[in-house]
Amino acid sequence: MLPNSSSISLLISNILIPIAVLVFATGFFPYKPFIPGLATYQSLEYGDPPEAPFDKVIFMVVDALRSDFVYSVNSGFSFTQSLIRSGVALPFTAHASSPTITMPRVKAMTTGSVPSFLDVILNFAESDTTSTLAHQDTWLAQLKAKRGGRLVMYGDDTWLKLFPETFTRADGTSSFFVSDFTEVDNNVTRHVPEELNASDWNAMIMHYLGLDHIGHKAGPLSPNMIPKQVEMDRIVEQIYHAIETKSHLKSTIFILCGDHGMNDGGNHGGSGAGETSPALVFMSPKLKSIAKKKQSPTVPLSAFHYYTLVEQSDIAPTLAGLLGFPIPLNNLGVFIPDFLPLWNNGNDRVQLLLRNALQILNIVKMTFSQQAFDNPFAKLDCSDPTSSGTELACKWRRVTDIYRGMEGFKPKPESILPALTAFCKSAQSIMSSTASNYDVSRLLLGIGLAGASAAFALIHMLLDPKTITISATGTQYSLVIALYGIMMFASSYVEEEQHFWYWTTSFWFMYLGIVESRHSQTGLPKKSLGLLLFHRIVVRWNQTGQKHAGAPDIAHFLLSYPVLIWTLVISTYLTLSYFVYRDYVRRLTGDFERAMARLSVAWLSLVAIFFKFAFVARDAPELLGWFPESGVEWLLLLPLVKLARGIFAGCFFGVLWLGYWEGMHIRTGQPAALAQSLHNLLSLIILTQTRTQNIPLFFIFTVMANLIARLPLISFQRTLSIILLTHTSFFSLGNSNAISSIDLSNAYNGVSGYNVIAVGILVFISNWAGPIWWTTTSNLISNQSLALDDVRRKTKENDRRNGKNWILREREHLASLAERASDENVSPSPQEPNKTISTPQQFLFIHHVALLTFFTSVSLLAIMIACTALRTHLFIWTVFSPKYLYAMAWCMGHHIFINIGLGGLMWWVGKMDIKTKKRA
Amino acid sequence: MSSTTTVTRPTEPSTIALPIEPLATDFAKIYIHIHPFLLLSLYIYRFDAIVGDPVSTLPTLLVGSVGLQLVYILTCLPPTTAGTKSNPPMLAKIGLKKKRTKQNEQGYGDKVIPAVLSLILTALLGVPLIYIFVVLFGGPLTTHFLHTFFCAAHIAFLAVLPLVYVFGVDSGRWRELAGLLIPLDDVVGGALGTVFGAWVGAVPIPLDWDREWQKWPVTIVTGAYGGYVMGKLLGGQILKGKVIEI
Ligand SMILES: [Zn+2]
Ligand SMILES: [Zn+2]
Repeated sequence: MLPNSSSISLLISNILIPIAVLVFATGFFPYKPFIPGLATYQSLEYGDPPEAPFDKVIFMVVDALRSDFVYSVNSGFSFTQSLIRSGVALPFTAHASSPTITMPRVKAMTTGSVPSFLDVILNFAESDTTSTLAHQDTWLAQLKAKRGGRLVMYGDDTWLKLFPETFTRADGTSSFFVSDFTEVDNNVTRHVPEELNASDWNAMIMHYLGLDHIGHKAGPLSPNMIPKQVEMDRIVEQIYHAIETKSHLKSTIFILCGDHGMNDGGNHGGSGAGETSPALVFMSPKLKSIAKKKQSPTVPLSAFHYYTLVEQSDIAPTLAGLLGFPIPLNNLGVFIPDFLPLWNNGNDRVQLLLRNALQILNIVKMTFSQQAFDNPFAKLDCSDPTSSGTELACKWRRVTDIYRGMEGFKPKPESILPALTAFCKSAQSIMSSTASNYDVSRLLLGIGLAGASAAFALIHMLLDPKTITISATGTQYSLVIALYGIMMFASSYVEEEQHFWYWTTSFWFMYLGIVESRHSQTGLPKKSLGLLLFHRIVVRWNQTGQKHAGAPDIAHFLLSYPVLIWTLVISTYLTLSYFVYRDYVRRLTGDFERAMARLSVAWLSLVAIFFKFAFVARDAPELLGWFPESGVEWLLLLPLVKLARGIFAGCFFGVLWLGYWEGMHIRTGQPAALAQSLHNLLSLIILTQTRTQNIPLFFIFTVMANLIARLPLISFQRTLSIILLTHTSFFSLGNSNAISSIDLSNAYNGVSGYNVIAVGILVFISNWAGPIWWTTTSNLISNQSLALDDVRRKTKENDRRNGKNWILREREHLASLAERASDENVSPSPQEPNKTISTPQQFLFIHHVALLTFFTSVSLLAIMIACTALRTHLFIWTVFSPKYLYAMAWCMGHHIFINIGLGGLMWWVGKMDIKTKKRA
Repeated sequence: MSSTTTVTRPTEPSTIALPIEPLATDFAKIYIHIHPFLLLSLYIYRFDAIVGDPVSTLPTLLVGSVGLQLVYILTCLPPTTAGTKSNPPMLAKIGLKKKRTKQNEQGYGDKVIPAVLSLILTALLGVPLIYIFVVLFGGPLTTHFLHTFFCAAHIAFLAVLPLVYVFGVDSGRWRELAGLLIPLDDVVGGALGTVFGAWVGAVPIPLDWDREWQKWPVTIVTGAYGGYVMGKLLGGQILKGKVIEI
């Protein structure tokens, strides 16, 4: 047994990890308090608010409608472009800030505020009620509060979740399958004619998803893109025509916009110019009086920047002015000045902006404590404003000074408007960059806790010096940790983290080659060379990161040869089925029992394979082009949810049966048999949660794990192998440190309705499939190494041959293994090498966990320090915030639940195997 | 791998070879120190041209490097596996068909043939083998054939050529090298340094500086040359005779 104090320090270290993660997260992603309630008009000297030119709004969101899709020469929006040319449409590029995913963007457009990064997490936990806008002030709430306000909504059900009980009529669509380009949109379009005839609503919201799906599926240059744009343009034409002709729609402002754009790969989430530049068009015959005729199609001023650039949050206050309601309380947007000419009276224009400024001032005052916001006589040094608070106070002072100078009279619009605009604009940019919102004391506390966790892990290692040895492996382990920590401070290495793991893993395999060479008869390290070759294939499977995203890779190559990919996928499934089948048959003796086992395994495998086929028939039908059409139709009839549940249930009962059998019987056939059987069943779940083109990777992983298990390694070397391979496999499956690479395609397998926990677990399994697989590969972490079996077999062979030279060499070999075994806490006796071999090499799980814990806590510490030190840096939202989210998943999900939880279970059942063997 | 934790192994004459001693001539004693820096200077002199146009500059540089390497092996190294009695000097035998008693006093004529044979072996076996390893370690497979080929050629003529010259076709020595059971010396140090340097050379490639010199294979070749010099310095001088503990 280990000394207690060292175990306790390891325990403390692991308890501190989740605490540190959460404490730091609350400081780094602060929950932004919002002002509750609905805004009402303040009374101003200017009197009643100016009359609104519009009384209805049609808000048409086309998901991922990038600016160039509407404005460029290669656009399908020819009717919309003709409206821009004739001066009844005002075109803008609306800057969408990162994270560019739908839910935070809808929040920004409706509240006018800038959603915190926390909304990213909430976006994935969609049904979470804290993320709804039911209690927040939005232009929807304001329009509903108006007399006779009724709202209707068709399209993406994000809106229904954000605005529960808001809409009079609604029909939500959800995007389960990105291959669905038509149904999601027809579901919206079919409601348009009747709603255009109805006169009972004052806001109609539509959210089309098809264009976004096309992007995700095949990128912005997909052949489906232009036809989809033409389809959307037709709807614009239909609606605009109705506004022109129907009298109840004559005062309707019609808005066409994207919630975000997309990058060249068709994905979004980050802050590339393509992702942050959606189009925004205001249309109405009434705009003819103010809109200057603009050239269309046109060329961008800079990348994806067409016409005037506004913020997405500006939509809320602009609608407030156009439709005549108070600006939502939490708004940081600025009324778009291009619309001011709609009001002929200069004082009306001033009043609009003044109300906007007063509303923003309200929020500014909650953040900055400067006296000058309330007291126009407070001392204020504006010659060189040092803080952003002072800067804003000075901008506001200019406004109050102008009013004071007028001594009760209203200032001229041309003198006061620029001052108001200047204040609003800088308040918007300062308040939007949440730099001031970090809770630095929490950040430092989080760093302290992570540091303490690392220190306790280190104390454990010092108290239990067998954990880490001063050896080449120890040096490499320390170097990996040190280099990884340093790397976290360079944004491009964070973006391209995969290179680090690919690079270190290839070196590690070369090192294993040297070890193997010393132990092999010929000196040729065949297994390590094999590992190096498979590693090269694995790293090329999916191009990931930022720089080379979308570059050719094996997965894309396979996607163009469907028959080949299916051959590989089915081979992987059949191999795994054979393993599972073997696990059962080995334990059974009776013919009937064996036949039953054969049947149930065959049934389970068939369900798993048919699930993949049925899933692909919906998600990527192009992969079934070689399949008879009637077969595809039959696949489409298969119930996906039930099939997935069948797989999960089959695996669950398989585990139960194994546990029951092992409990009833003492004898097992092979070392670590139960652990390996559990791993095989888990692999079936992992394959279910893996994208089709990645499934063959697990076949390669199986071969690699067997090669490593046959190498003469000490447990430290096996642990380091697992650290390297968990990370390599994570990135080789196509993951990266960007939000846009999160794979949600398998999030709803077996789930009907919204179940946050189930969806969360499924998303985690499908994104961490590689790391989970490698962690539970009991060949590596279990107590029995196949290498020792090999040696034992060879010794027997050699005894038979009785060649003198051979025995001598083998003795040397065994002596060196005994030397290694001394690292393993087993007392070796060099005089009796055979005894060492027959004693099961004890794999001390606690050493394994200690090494993993130290790696986890040091890397967490490095990421936290990087995030804190670079928190004012430009890359904080684009690179480091997503990285911290991933670090959270690695530390909490992977380390605590997989490394310790699942790994511990595997080790425990592995240990049971040894005991039963001893008893036998 | 840690080159820092080197310790001398207990001498086991049957398994552990002796480090290669350079020839005892005055010229060899001086040139063995100058040689790596001559190579490095030549590389630095051509660096801008390599960055500008690797495919046409790397082969011309290769001619110069191979020339310097030939001078080095001809003047400084014994063309046999000197030091272990059990291993006959294979290449020297092939070339001469008779044995000399004092290897250090061999004439240049006796060395030219082994040198030429090593050159051919390196070109025919070493370069393709290194090419395969460069690809296995992440080098491009489907593009940049010439870039990778010349990169491999540079690594091969830096690392493999001297090894072939002193090891010949003695499989025992090569096997010891594969298991790193060989003491460090000028040749082994240079070879390991070249390989290690080439591996480290991949580090700057992912950085977003968008410089020309970040392009394949400039950093790899630079790493190889730097590693060669460092390896020679460490293996031939500071850590000479030690075995890397793995
Ligand atoms: Zn979207
Ligand atoms: Zn999308």
